[in-house]
Amino acid sequence: MLEIKQVTKKFGDFIAVDHMSLSVAEGEIFGFLGANGAGKSTTINMIAGLLRPNAGEITILGKDITRHRQFAKRQIGIVPQEIAIYENLTAYENVEFFAGLYGLRGAELRQRVEEALEFVGLSDKRKRYPKHFSGGMKRRLNIACAIAHRPKLIIMDEPTVGIDPQSRNDILAAVKKLNDMGCTMIYTSHYMEEVEEICTRIAIIDHGKIIAEGTKEQLEAMITDTKDIWIEIRGMDQLNKQHLQDIPGVKAVQCEENIIKISSDINVNHLNQIVQCLINDGVEIRSLEDQSPNLETVFLTLTGRNLRDS
Amino acid sequence: MERLLLFYKLIVWGYAALDYISSEQRNESWFVLSSLIYFCLSLSASIVRNVRWKKGAALCSVVLVILSSAYVEPSFGLLLPLNGYELASFYIPRLWGIWVVLLVPMVWLGPSAAKLYGLVALFSLVSVTTAKRHLERMKQQEDRLDQLRNDWHRLTRSVNEYHQYIKQSEYMLQLEERNRLSQRIHDQIGHSLTGALIQMEAAKRLMDGDRNKAKQLLENAIHISKEGIEQIRMTLKQMKPPPEQMGINRVKLFIDEFSAQHHLPIPLVCKGDLDVITPIQWKVIYENMAEALTNAIKYAEATAIAVEIHVLNRVIKVEVKDNGKGATKIKKGLGIIGMEERAASVHGTVIVDGTNGFSVTTLLPIHE
Repeated sequence: MLEIKQVTKKFGDFIAVDHMSLSVAEGEIFGFLGANGAGKSTTINMIAGLLRPNAGEITILGKDITRHRQFAKRQIGIVPQEIAIYENLTAYENVEFFAGLYGLRGAELRQRVEEALEFVGLSDKRKRYPKHFSGGMKRRLNIACAIAHRPKLIIMDEPTVGIDPQSRNDILAAVKKLNDMGCTMIYTSHYMEEVEEICTRIAIIDHGKIIAEGTKEQLEAMITDTKDIWIEIRGMDQLNKQHLQDIPGVKAVQCEENIIKISSDINVNHLNQIVQCLINDGVEIRSLEDQSPNLETVFLTLTGRNLRDS
Repeated sequence: MERLLLFYKLIVWGYAALDYISSEQRNESWFVLSSLIYFCLSLSASIVRNVRWKKGAALCSVVLVILSSAYVEPSFGLLLPLNGYELASFYIPRLWGIWVVLLVPMVWLGPSAAKLYGLVALFSLVSVTTAKRHLERMKQQEDRLDQLRNDWHRLTRSVNEYHQYIKQSEYMLQLEERNRLSQRIHDQIGHSLTGALIQMEAAKRLMDGDRNKAKQLLENAIHISKEGIEQIRMTLKQMKPPPEQMGINRVKLFIDEFSAQHHLPIPLVCKGDLDVITPIQWKVIYENMAEALTNAIKYAEATAIAVEIHVLNRVIKVEVKDNGKGATKIKKGLGIIGMEERAASVHGTVIVDGTNGFSVTTLLPIHE
């Protein structure tokens, strides 16, 4: 679907994107995860044709985007980081305007605009002006503007920045739904949880480079092959440690006061068995904490920095 | 370029010829003659290699065009801009200069003819200039392509040589090792075995006569054999160095020396199983670390540098981090590019970060 080969973008001496190569297959939700200023938006803008790379090649469906600009633009729908809608047009007119830019006309245009508004749940607000909208509604309207021409590749650049949790969930649901409808998605964020939740494949970007790429599991497996579960219990004396150790996949069991720390193989899911074993031993479980690695730890381990404070 | 110029000339000549046919004048033979001479001159200008001949042909064309426009057919004069351009471009480097020269003949023309002439002159100038630019660019691209091809060729060759070299050194190493082994076996084990054998032979002969003596000899033989076995054990142990000894010791040694040389504490932290690091990865780690440390001394004004080698599940992370002034804007120099290239040679990457002190992180994947 999308192929980026050795793409470099410089702004003066500053190298925003440094020999980046990646490919996104059809039907994926591809996540760009990186701190602010890592080069995510620059990459997106190059894919969308807003910036020209200094070197390298970007192809969409096998066609070079600099040589087939029209073709490339029709395949892409972009939801930019900054909300881009006209405050003095109604919701309907906004979508109509942007869809019109892609050459849609007449009945087809009207139908697509309706569909897009319906999709983001703004049909009943079509006559309202966006200045009365909340941040989340503006975002949704922006998404409607980007999808009305039915692009094959939808790029969302930090669509959940500065909006309420409800709208955020709506947007994440919309991303999944669009993907189910056959759209390939590129999703950038510096919120690890979102990327973890929805993306089928993730690239961790830092200083304009992809430092790791793969599914969530593959990325986590990069740094460790064990996961830790901490269980707070009451009645440690009733526990038979050997029972826990006998569960397949468990590597080590450590007991400290009233907390059991279980390290086990990351590829095995045996939480049920562990809990069952504890119940059988007559132990009361107070709380259970999953200390498995997540993308945040992967990022932290690989770069030595947190996703958000750099 | 010359071919294009010829083509343009042909177009303008065609226009002049049409103009001539539609006009009433009938001195065909002269028209045909001047056209033919004109063709010859134009073609010869593009055939000859010598610049002086080219200039001559261009000059002759201009003279011919002026003469024939005066005596044979006025529309022949429309060829003047192209030929004038051809001639003027030898002498005048600037475009507007050529343009001015081309427009000079307009002074002698009537208003309607001047308009047509001006138009053709403009057309010629624009088309020839664009064509020229395009061709120049194309040539540049071709040169670049050539250069790239050369580079590619050179690199492929050096890769091949490198492979050859690796094979060669592997073979040499094997020979050396074999030599060392055979020497050892000969010097130590061989000697003890022979010693034991002689003692046992002697014991066999004395077995029936002097039993005590025989017993003593056997004792000796046993003793020598034991020593031999011990030696074999020692040899084997010495032969098999602990896998991490080469890599990590070299790194440690370098850090210690560097630390002493620059009076700077450089703590080294190693985590994970160092055994999985291959010799070639150790080489990259060592060189990148040395480069990063040197950079830190040169630029960072740091009071401490920390080195961490962390073997994770699928990656090796080597971080050199100082507490110096850092850098908000990082300009990649040869040093950083070198580190990146070394890392890339084993499919790794380098992250350079200057936000909090300065850190260089080399990430190398572990292949199973």
